[in-house]
Amino acid sequence: MDLTFSAAEEAFRADLRGWLADNLPSAWREPGFWATVPDAEAFELRREWERRKFDAGFAGIDWPTEFGGRGGTPGMKAIYDEEMAHARAPSTVNSLGLAFLAPTIMAIGSEEQKREIIRPLLRCDVIWCQGFSEPDAGSDLAALRASGVADGEDIVVNGQKVWTTNAIHADRIFALVRTEPGSQRHRGISMLLIDMHQDGVEARPLRQMSGATEFGEVFFTNARVPATECLGGLGNGWATAMLLLSFERGASGILQYTSFRRAYDEIVRAARVLGRDQEPVLRQELAQRLVELECLRYHAMHVLTRVEQGADLGSESSMTKLQWSETYQDLFETFDNLLGSDIAIGSPVAGLDLTALQAEGFWSRSVTIWGGSSQVQRNIVAERVLGLPR
Amino acid sequence: MFFALTDEQRALGDTVRDFLADRFDLTAVRAVFEDAAGDGHPTELWKAVGEQGWLAVCVPEEYDGLGLGILDAHVVARALGAGVVPGPWLSTVLAGEAVRLAGSEAQRADLLPRIADGDLAATVALRGAGRGWGADGVTVSAVPVAGEPAAEAGGELGALTGAASPVEYLAVAGLVVVAATESSTAAGAAGAGAGSATGSGGVGLYLVDPQAAGVTVEPLTSYDGTTRLAALKLEGAHARRLPGSSAAVLEDLVRRGAVLTAADLAGIAREALTRTVRYDQERIQFGRPVGSFQALKHHLADLHVAVTMAEHAAMYAAYAIDAELDDLLLAVAVAKAKASQAARDATAAMIQYHGGIGYTWEHETHFFYKRARRLYGAFGDPPSHLERVAALTIDTVAAPDSEAAAV
Repeated sequence: MDLTFSAAEEAFRADLRGWLADNLPSAWREPGFWATVPDAEAFELRREWERRKFDAGFAGIDWPTEFGGRGGTPGMKAIYDEEMAHARAPSTVNSLGLAFLAPTIMAIGSEEQKREIIRPLLRCDVIWCQGFSEPDAGSDLAALRASGVADGEDIVVNGQKVWTTNAIHADRIFALVRTEPGSQRHRGISMLLIDMHQDGVEARPLRQMSGATEFGEVFFTNARVPATECLGGLGNGWATAMLLLSFERGASGILQYTSFRRAYDEIVRAARVLGRDQEPVLRQELAQRLVELECLRYHAMHVLTRVEQGADLGSESSMTKLQWSETYQDLFETFDNLLGSDIAIGSPVAGLDLTALQAEGFWSRSVTIWGGSSQVQRNIVAERVLGLPR
Repeated sequence: MFFALTDEQRALGDTVRDFLADRFDLTAVRAVFEDAAGDGHPTELWKAVGEQGWLAVCVPEEYDGLGLGILDAHVVARALGAGVVPGPWLSTVLAGEAVRLAGSEAQRADLLPRIADGDLAATVALRGAGRGWGADGVTVSAVPVAGEPAAEAGGELGALTGAASPVEYLAVAGLVVVAATESSTAAGAAGAGAGSATGSGGVGLYLVDPQAAGVTVEPLTSYDGTTRLAALKLEGAHARRLPGSSAAVLEDLVRRGAVLTAADLAGIAREALTRTVRYDQERIQFGRPVGSFQALKHHLADLHVAVTMAEHAAMYAAYAIDAELDDLLLAVAVAKAKASQAARDATAAMIQYHGGIGYTWEHETHFFYKRARRLYGAFGDPPSHLERVAALTIDTVAAPDSEAAAV
């Protein structure tokens, strides 16, 4: 057992902390700051922040240097996640590109794709969104119907994608499209890298129940994409998508722990102001949430250990998602319990600004849906980890 | 970062599991379980436990032990829990820890080698019936025996009066480590009787010989046939004090008990889940394995997550004790709460998802369920540990107006 990071990793932490202290605007660290900034302006602030971070060498922490990364260890990536959450630095505006597209291109992309796509993505000069879900293909992704038909050197795309994070800000979309007419289920699908800035592509914002518009829908009407702008080969999109989704498996949960642990402390402060922090029943409930959060922290150390050993976590990552998402949601149910009758009021309550916690509470309803719903995750754990029959 | 068991620790766990599969399977457990009048302490098993070194894990090498830590002991405890194994392993290990932590050199040299090789079965009596774990749960009091100087062989002699209950394997133990309150004045202690510590006096740990004058052992029934329980009654029984003992040592000992119990519970929970999955892969109803129904799958998946978290938590807490991590108090409370809950839920599901057969005496489900239920409260039940967690994470959080000062 060794729960320490190496000297090089701790030196990296010190560097990053110092840089954050000098560069992260103090206003950004205030809870609720981002709720005061209009969406479009917030996006540009965050994009600019990503560029500064890249230029300072704090992007792509565990990516090879040839792609503009820092060439660091998995431990450095965990430290990065932890420190960014501690400092309340904004999360990246290119999350899906960073987490999924870039590692897939590193693994199976052409040399040209590696050269052309990865560095601009990391610097957030090109923002990517992911076109997987459709109105009739959510958890059942293989039911997708967006079509692509060859026309000369191009593929002409028609159809609709939905729940697309960053749809209205994105420059390009990596989309699953049925390129073999009449094909069924997993066959005949391609992953196309489509330019959003063309007449045939329209992105519309979707307002979420929280009031924010982080996601949207994308309509393709005779949109064109060169046939060469395909990742993993034409007709091979399903395998490419599965590989792409597998890159979620390196995520340890440390980022979630760090930010949820702070939410716990904020909820405790609210309980104190509301005069409820000594109520035995609420104490038991809060403590139960803390137990699950600490278990998430231990689990993150387990995942990081496995990653450092070069293990493929496989379906085990479904457990990580279940633990953090369900715990997070439960935490905000506890928040609701301590608000009592004042739950009717948005903010402030008893002089306390609850804007940020209320927003998180609504947001928490989404985390058990996106990225594979809890129900899908439980199927995966039951069938692929426990070996229960389909 | 290496949050995992080493190859050696894995091998230790495998050795225990392989031994149990080969030499003490559920048929052997049943024989002990059903023999309620028996001592619950199979000779052959105990001999092997001693020979294999499983009692020597925490004993320093200079006393013929392996010189390892609670993390290694937790590996053994997890495997013994998975095997629902009867016998005074845990109670003996804890008695050994008391001697190691607070004993004189002479007491260690006398007792630890005999504990390490299985020659001496021992137990601990740390609390009164209905009381909490820690100094305020002690209902035995000690007064110094007048005119008796501290003996060469150990600490000073005390006369102990009061009761502790329930005590595991008291009837077969050759040694009982008893927690007793100590008053600063002899008069106060003499009148204390079966009273409890008020915090004014200290707490000492004493080595009681169950055969000594003034010691009475009253058997208690246990629904869990993988242990034997009794009440210890003391009326002026003479016993040697562990000179290094204190309320802090008692609390340390309770934490060690809590973590090893959490490990046992994690072992029970994992085995219960594994056996349930295996059964539901094969049990056919409606023309298909019942394990193919999503109602079962989703619950079993959630249990897998919960049991895995309990395993992580027990492992972390064990290491936290060995390494004296800053968050060790929190880690122990988290581990005992989580493992207790996971084991209760997994063993309840074991009964439910075996259907009617799972509710029979003939099936082994009740060994797991009953052991998990007994250990649910051992060294603190979840509500008490959750309150500990609350004290550590709610009462320590700064109020909003003093946030700047706290940061």
